[in-house]
Amino acid sequence: MIEALSAMGSVFTDPYLLALIFATTVLGVIIGVLPGLGATTGAALLLPFTLTMEPVQAIAVLSTIYVSATFAGSITAILINTPGTSAAAATTFDGYPLAQKGEAGRALGIAVVSSTVGGVFSVIVLCIAAPLLARVAYEFRPPEYFALTIFGLSMLASISAGGAVKNLIGGIFGVWLSTIGAERVTAIERFMFGNYDLYEGLSFVPVFIGLFAISELLVQSKMVNKIVETVALKAVKLPTKEDYKRIWKTILRSCGIGTFIGVLPAEGATVASMIGYSEAKRWSKNKEEFGKGSVEGIAGAEAANNAATGGAMVPTMVLGIPGSGTTAIILVGLMVHGLRPGAYLFTEQVEKVYQIFGSMLLANLMFMAMGLYAARLFARVSLVPISILWPIVFALSVIGAYALSQSLIDVWIALIFGVIGFFARRHGFAVAPIAVGLILGEMVETNLQHSLKMYDGQWWMIFAQPLAAFFLILAFLGLCGPYLYSLIIRHKD
Amino acid sequence: MKKKLYIIPLFLTLFSFVVIYLSLQLETSPEMIVGDSMQARSFPIFLMVINLMLVGILSLQFYKTYPKEVELEKFPTWSSMLLFLIFYILVKVSGDMFVAIPIVMFLMGLTWGQKKVWISLVNAIATPLSVFLLFDYVLQVRFPRGWLTNIYYG
Repeated sequence: MIEALSAMGSVFTDPYLLALIFATTVLGVIIGVLPGLGATTGAALLLPFTLTMEPVQAIAVLSTIYVSATFAGSITAILINTPGTSAAAATTFDGYPLAQKGEAGRALGIAVVSSTVGGVFSVIVLCIAAPLLARVAYEFRPPEYFALTIFGLSMLASISAGGAVKNLIGGIFGVWLSTIGAERVTAIERFMFGNYDLYEGLSFVPVFIGLFAISELLVQSKMVNKIVETVALKAVKLPTKEDYKRIWKTILRSCGIGTFIGVLPAEGATVASMIGYSEAKRWSKNKEEFGKGSVEGIAGAEAANNAATGGAMVPTMVLGIPGSGTTAIILVGLMVHGLRPGAYLFTEQVEKVYQIFGSMLLANLMFMAMGLYAARLFARVSLVPISILWPIVFALSVIGAYALSQSLIDVWIALIFGVIGFFARRHGFAVAPIAVGLILGEMVETNLQHSLKMYDGQWWMIFAQPLAAFFLILAFLGLCGPYLYSLIIRHKD
Repeated sequence: MKKKLYIIPLFLTLFSFVVIYLSLQLETSPEMIVGDSMQARSFPIFLMVINLMLVGILSLQFYKTYPKEVELEKFPTWSSMLLFLIFYILVKVSGDMFVAIPIVMFLMGLTWGQKKVWISLVNAIATPLSVFLLFDYVLQVRFPRGWLTNIYYG
């Protein structure tokens, strides 16, 4: 425990790391306020820049982008009614109406405080829950891991964007992508079409850059000529005593909701903010204010989405199962830097783990300062013309895709997946399930193979393992639960 | 117009069958290697069978409630995809990403509505140059040799 705390504390005394996290927080806030960019695209674009860094620094950069961009989405949500990130969509419901009443500063102040409390709370939970879960995960064998990844994939059904079936189809497509290349046991070449650059399989980085950054570029191309109306902001105001009285319960509730939703595999900040908002409304004494500038609405959504960031890191680091699109990229970052996600990370490299947690805590405190004192300045960044911004994203994408393996094939892969991602999104398929499926695909196949070997081909023996059966039942409930519930309700009616 | 939306389930079905067909063409491994585990072809086929079931459910959903119709893309979207193709051709011809990137960035800026040509031009030159220098000096990434990089690398 003391070792863990001192590792966390070392982040606060390392000048290089402090400067790096400060710079990344600024960048993260800028990325967050630019509509369309967001935490996931930002992390995908920045991943290649972390290649030469030490593992802790690299993951600190990615996780700082995650927390600061998730918060910063609220700045544009409040000032221009355009969420900088999907996680801030619920903030527009009350943030913009409050800003239109001439209280933009108050709205931003509540968003900043709620986000910070949510973020710090989730890091504390992360510090406590992750090692405990790691102890349980230490006992996992291939059947349990197989069942867990199936549970993770089943949770894709409830990712906010796209419908459940579409998300599952996306996930299956992602898993199929992971089969491209030489099969790991038999070395039989699958779907390579004679291209030996694909022998090791599709590299995650260019696929993610394509799916998140380039497809977003094509989506944004539809926004050309969109006129943006901004609300004037004089200064960000800290919530008053009266505000705190009204929102403290909402913040606490949303902290719990956000962290819990973040911990669920494949769930993320967007779902958390929506539920945080609707729960704030459900428990509020002033329901009529919602949608017209309710401070509880802003606090509920903002505390939840930032609380989800720490929560989402739990399954990512302990089980190797990403909690969202951004944590999928952080997971790739861990792998690229030689940190093997899983229970062993908490026994073999515990110091690094707590330094990463410490950097997340620091990032949460830094974005609070920036949100309070520089929101006005950052809001101006959102007005950068898209005809300047997106060509820059194009350049960063292709150079970033090339950088990891220094291979042009990765550039083509990024562009192809950009177009695939665009058409998928055009028809209502979210791209995050494809990314999560690609990451989990190898785990599913490998653990299924090992399980079959363990039980001499008797696949049903997987169901006889209590923990594996538990996860498979959870997966079944996750998939069929909502349908069964609606059937029961209909039957009652 | 509505019939066009059935293209999605149709496309996904076709995709699944193509993958199954390709999987069936894969070699099989001897029993002593695979043992009680799976052949390399089994997993993709298993995935596509699940995919077909999901596509069936999706079609049923489409039948019950028609999804929102999709707007056709406007000029900037198609032109951006065309620019990706131009980027590919330019890299193949020049062998140099840093010839292709500024040209594509410049054209992208114009097609996305930038009226001041000089702004697009400055953006197209300054951004790749600064990113190149950052990657070259700080990250020590070597880029493929081509018209421009040959001059730089010597």
